[in-house]
Amino acid sequence: MREITLSQAVNEALAEEMRRDETVFIIGEDVAEAGTPFKVLSGLVEEFGTQRVIDTPISEPGFMGLAVGAAMTGTRPVVDLMFGDFLFLVMDQLCNQAAKIHYMSGGKLNVPLVVRTNLGATRRSAAQHSQSLHALVAHIPGLKVALPSSAYEAKGLMKTAIRDNNPVVIFEDKLMYNDKAPVPEEEYLIPLGEANVLREGSDITLIGTSSMVQVCQKAAGLLAHERISAEVIDPRTIVPLDEAALLKSAKKTSRVIVVDEGHQSFGITGEIASRINEKAFYHLDGPVLRMGAMDVPVPFSPALEDLTVPTPEGVAEKARKLVAGEMIHAA
Amino acid sequence: MPHEVIMPALGMAQDSGLIVAWHKNQGDAVSMGDTLFEVETDKATMEVEAQASGFLNRVSRQAGDDVPVGEVIAVIGDSAEAAPPEQTPKEMPKEMPENIDPAAPEMPKGAEVIMPALGMAQDSGVIVAWHKSPGDAAASSDVLFEVETDKSTVEVEAGHDGYVAALLAEPGDEVPVGDVIAVISATKPETPVQLSRQSQGPSASRSAETPAAAPAPSSEPAASPQVAKPAAMATGDRILVSPKARRLALEQGLDLKGLIEAGIPQPFHVADLEMLRSLPAKTATGPSGTQNVLARVSVTGFSDFFDRFDGQIPTPGAVWAAFAAASLRSAGSRSDIVVRLDTPLLGSSAFFVDPDLVPLSRIAPCEADAPQIVLRDLTASRITGLTLVADDAPVLTVSRDGTDYVLSLDFTEAQLAANAAIRLVEGVAARLGEPLRHLL
Repeated sequence: MREITLSQAVNEALAEEMRRDETVFIIGEDVAEAGTPFKVLSGLVEEFGTQRVIDTPISEPGFMGLAVGAAMTGTRPVVDLMFGDFLFLVMDQLCNQAAKIHYMSGGKLNVPLVVRTNLGATRRSAAQHSQSLHALVAHIPGLKVALPSSAYEAKGLMKTAIRDNNPVVIFEDKLMYNDKAPVPEEEYLIPLGEANVLREGSDITLIGTSSMVQVCQKAAGLLAHERISAEVIDPRTIVPLDEAALLKSAKKTSRVIVVDEGHQSFGITGEIASRINEKAFYHLDGPVLRMGAMDVPVPFSPALEDLTVPTPEGVAEKARKLVAGEMIHAA
Repeated sequence: MPHEVIMPALGMAQDSGLIVAWHKNQGDAVSMGDTLFEVETDKATMEVEAQASGFLNRVSRQAGDDVPVGEVIAVIGDSAEAAPPEQTPKEMPKEMPENIDPAAPEMPKGAEVIMPALGMAQDSGVIVAWHKSPGDAAASSDVLFEVETDKSTVEVEAGHDGYVAALLAEPGDEVPVGDVIAVISATKPETPVQLSRQSQGPSASRSAETPAAAPAPSSEPAASPQVAKPAAMATGDRILVSPKARRLALEQGLDLKGLIEAGIPQPFHVADLEMLRSLPAKTATGPSGTQNVLARVSVTGFSDFFDRFDGQIPTPGAVWAAFAAASLRSAGSRSDIVVRLDTPLLGSSAFFVDPDLVPLSRIAPCEADAPQIVLRDLTASRITGLTLVADDAPVLTVSRDGTDYVLSLDFTEAQLAANAAIRLVEGVAARLGEPLRHLL
């Protein structure tokens, strides 16, 4: 199978959906001529023109509000939010309007909106351009959240999200734009809410999201040398969450570590750990562990920045202790 | 038709109201719309109007009383009544003079001044200073005292014209909202009263039951004498075990206490259940923690040895005592070793002290007690094996099964470590098998 980068996969997904459905359009800063700072959208304005690939002034609340209204009135906007950190600027448009319109209109209005944005540290972009804020969005009922972990996921989830009648926020890992993965030529969709078991194992389950899926994969490789059999699962979307798949694995291995690049406190890891605790408690042989980003502003110093996110070695170390029954706390 | 005056509900979540003051007295004529009394809720102080005209009778609650919403506090009737004879003593406000200890100074009559609620969530106030002294004349608008809440310090007016008849708190005292802190009398009091909160007893309530000695500013603070209970260790009998291991143990009928007795550190995990399953014999046979080590050795070695040195060495039992003492010593026992030799069929016992440190020919019983080990000689019986509850000391039973000696050591963990027990039995068995080893 051919291999393409995550950028190319997203570009293909958008192009295919824009060809299929003429109500799909892209709006955001530097999306047309520039093709975004990460060059994800290069070439789209040439094919679809500036009426469907729309450059906006630097006003996130403005174009997000515009897109919400456009979605309510029959189009399928794909909003390009250049950095996930800019979510703070569009909270009202996204969380108070887009998320609630369908409910508050008694089902008369839909908001088939896609927000493309990103997450991930260690790109030396400092504290205001390095955050992973998907937990903020996942907290609001009415918003779906997809976290593609490879080019394959990025394309399949994007196409599904565009066809979904509800607002979907897709966080791409900005470090992964140039990572290649096998992606079929033929069309495919990945349903929202269907986890992917990347590696089967029997001793411990590593649940990773987005950028942390490859961290878990590498950790599982390290553990295999020590005869610890780790299962790696990628939920792919955290809203909706494929709870059944996670519980099934937790019951099978009886030990779980949840790894996510958002800040650890009050984040995705805690939510998933709680659900496993609530619904698989009597199958657990140790506490469900969380590993998120350190609860600090992401440092600009590369040496410090690298310390703030989970690493394969760190995950393997925790897994080792959990399997050995060494996660002991006071009675 | 008498009209009942009830404590009104003035707030959304109000369940009681504090009567700040009555504006009418028992027997007074009232007209509908007259202000009857003032109520303080957690939000505000309000004046409550009479809903009927007539005479105010049967006033059952006084200023300073916190009254549940809906309770009847007075009745407006067609004619003035004398104060009801039975003013329900049980509902008598606690600060009524009748309740005061006889030793306490008599509380002067007059208008009561209470600690006001100055904040939304205030439940007490600290008296900063009195601006009047007992006996002083006070006008209603005179500043009577300053009170400090967690937000601010506020000057509070007397609210009544008259004389300061009693001050019931001192500067620095913290007083619950609603408690009476002063009495203002209409006439100049002959013996004005001054008390501190401390002198009114640790309950710090309005019940002035403690004999009121002279105000003692330096008296100890009325801190609650309750001693904080030491936080009990939460573990107790609880066994720390993972949820899955606990569930599996329950399903499979495994007793996790077995793991504790086996010395496995907690918390237990599923892997530890394997260990537990491999220990069933102990829980099946071991009465209360008794452990057992068994050995079997041919009698030939010892009988040959005994025959060869017949006459030069004492009884077999004495030799075995030496074997046992030597084995125990090599298993780690350092002190003088006292061996007791029991021969149950004969009903006899003999003590040997360090029998392994003298030549075999000179081993002899002596006076001793507190044996480190008991040898039980059953070789003359038909019993070939047994496990009994361990004695004060480990018991090594020697019995005979055909051409073999059977050694059985009963002991508890407290007496011997498992390793020492194994080395002990192995040592005795080796010496029985080849007694010459003992001599070497």
